Amino acid sequence: MATKLTINGETKSFDAPPDMPLLWVLRDILGMTGTKFGCGIAQCGACTVHVDGKAVRSCVLPVSAVENRAITTIEHIGSTPAGSKVQKAWLEAEVIQCGYCQSGQIMSAAALLASTPKPDDADIDAAMAGNICRCGTYVRIREAIKLAANGRQS
Amino acid sequence: MRILARLVVIAIVAVALGVFIIRGPGPLDFAGGTKVALADYRAGKPTGVPAKLETASLVERGEYLAKAADCMVCHTKPGEKEYAGGLAFKLPFGTLYSTNITPDKDTGIGNYSDQDFLNAVQHGKRRDGARLYPAMPYTSYPLMTDEDVLAVKAYLFSLPAVRVKAPENTLSFPFNQRWAMTFWSAVFNPDTRFAPDTSKSPEWNRGAYLAEALAHCGECHTPRNLGFALDNRKKFAGAITAGWHAFNISSDKATGLGNWSDADLIAYLSLGHAAGHGSASGPMGEAVDHSFSQFAPEDIRSIVAYLRSVPAQPSPDLPATTAPVAPASHKEGITADARGKKVFASACASCHGWSGESPVSPMATLTGTWAVNDPAATNVAQIVISGTKRHTPDGALSMPAFGHAYSDDEIAAVANYVTARFGAKGSKLTAKDVAELREQTAE
Repeated sequence: MATKLTINGETKSFDAPPDMPLLWVLRDILGMTGTKFGCGIAQCGACTVHVDGKAVRSCVLPVSAVENRAITTIEHIGSTPAGSKVQKAWLEAEVIQCGYCQSGQIMSAAALLASTPKPDDADIDAAMAGNICRCGTYVRIREAIKLAANGRQS
Repeated sequence: MRILARLVVIAIVAVALGVFIIRGPGPLDFAGGTKVALADYRAGKPTGVPAKLETASLVERGEYLAKAADCMVCHTKPGEKEYAGGLAFKLPFGTLYSTNITPDKDTGIGNYSDQDFLNAVQHGKRRDGARLYPAMPYTSYPLMTDEDVLAVKAYLFSLPAVRVKAPENTLSFPFNQRWAMTFWSAVFNPDTRFAPDTSKSPEWNRGAYLAEALAHCGECHTPRNLGFALDNRKKFAGAITAGWHAFNISSDKATGLGNWSDADLIAYLSLGHAAGHGSASGPMGEAVDHSFSQFAPEDIRSIVAYLRSVPAQPSPDLPATTAPVAPASHKEGITADARGKKVFASACASCHGWSGESPVSPMATLTGTWAVNDPAATNVAQIVISGTKRHTPDGALSMPAFGHAYSDDEIAAVANYVTARFGAKGSKLTAKDVAELREQTAE
């Protein structure tokens, strides 16, 4: 039975078991490999996508739970106002080291700015605590979020 | 001699009175209507299988009844062969292991005659004459008809024999004295078959048979008395069983099922989730997955009709109203436990949200559930420790187990934060409480 999802504004149709996690659909079926697999148990944040504008972990999200909902991935986040600001700030602050976690970091940061345009440190902690970075780029992530919020980037 | 005789009479009366007081009413005494023998009941057929299985083979009928009686969950060690036993029941006085009920002749029940099987299921007596412990609900199963018990036997005997011996129990004295259960059974197992109540509808009678004889709801949801038997004066008032809070399922409006709609109850039993009431986890999750989800729809409706009739028993340990949705911002609402908030932000918020209404699925919504509104936080801590998995026709949704990832202290902190933020009253769990909960949990 074909499943239909709305991903980045487009309708995608494919065959997948209803309990397949969205991350598998994105990467293995649709070839959208910008979203990363990290831990597989919603504890590292690498697989973060937006569902109806909220940051969720796609590795534990069965595809049956997101039919008829708007899914946004890292491939499209630059087209949203908050996502565009975040990506520019990320470049300006040179946040990335190895980069593996960064699509998840950017998705969480974009969801944060969309709901809280001027986040303080506590807001950043609350929104970003679930995104782990083994390179320890947390200081630059915080700086870049503030940069994106204050619009000081070129 | 006369004085001695008097003393004996007094002693007998005292014991009889004591037994009467401790034993209390039977599971169906609350209904109070006129009971008739099953053979004389003409209004409906409360026993056996639903109509669509009436002409099915004995083994198929037995399969339905075995699932309705939920034999498999207790008689299977997770990850091992079904019905081969070995599941540990951790009790304050030692550990009990469930037995192999596959038809293996040496380690299972392959040598059981029909009468042996009836003796075990309804009287708590093993084939070798030894007494069973009432972890096996042999006080509920006497309500089953012999025909239904033997259909279950036929089903079990149709399964592959598995040769595996359950570990020996590790009960301490005096609990390791099986013969003592003879007296317990004499007091607490009156050995009465189900008798329909003519003042009630056929649907109610079917529900009563399913809930009391088969599903044995009371074994978890009814508090126990001094003798560790069910105290039906507080029928379905809720109890702690195997380290989980089996909540109040009496008709009490505030703390029981009184304000659940029929649709809520049907959804919860058949799918393990009702909107705004949460999802079944722990032992109830197993009961839904292996038992209630397999019930015919009319049988679920019968159970609902029956549950509605159980007198209201308020739970004073629960709040009169559950808490509303928490604020969407992490800054608003109760944030007393900074450590708990930290754990919640990193491990929980992405699925459960800061408001308690899940951005992922209504099944993961915390708002309105008894788990977060229970000031003891028992089930919150248990679900954090062991995770949960809810099977639905559209696939499973699961929460990972955090028991190995977080310390007792961190689990206590996050449970206290969650109950304060999303419930009516925050819990005060300590690391020691969490360690004890881990101990009580069956495997």
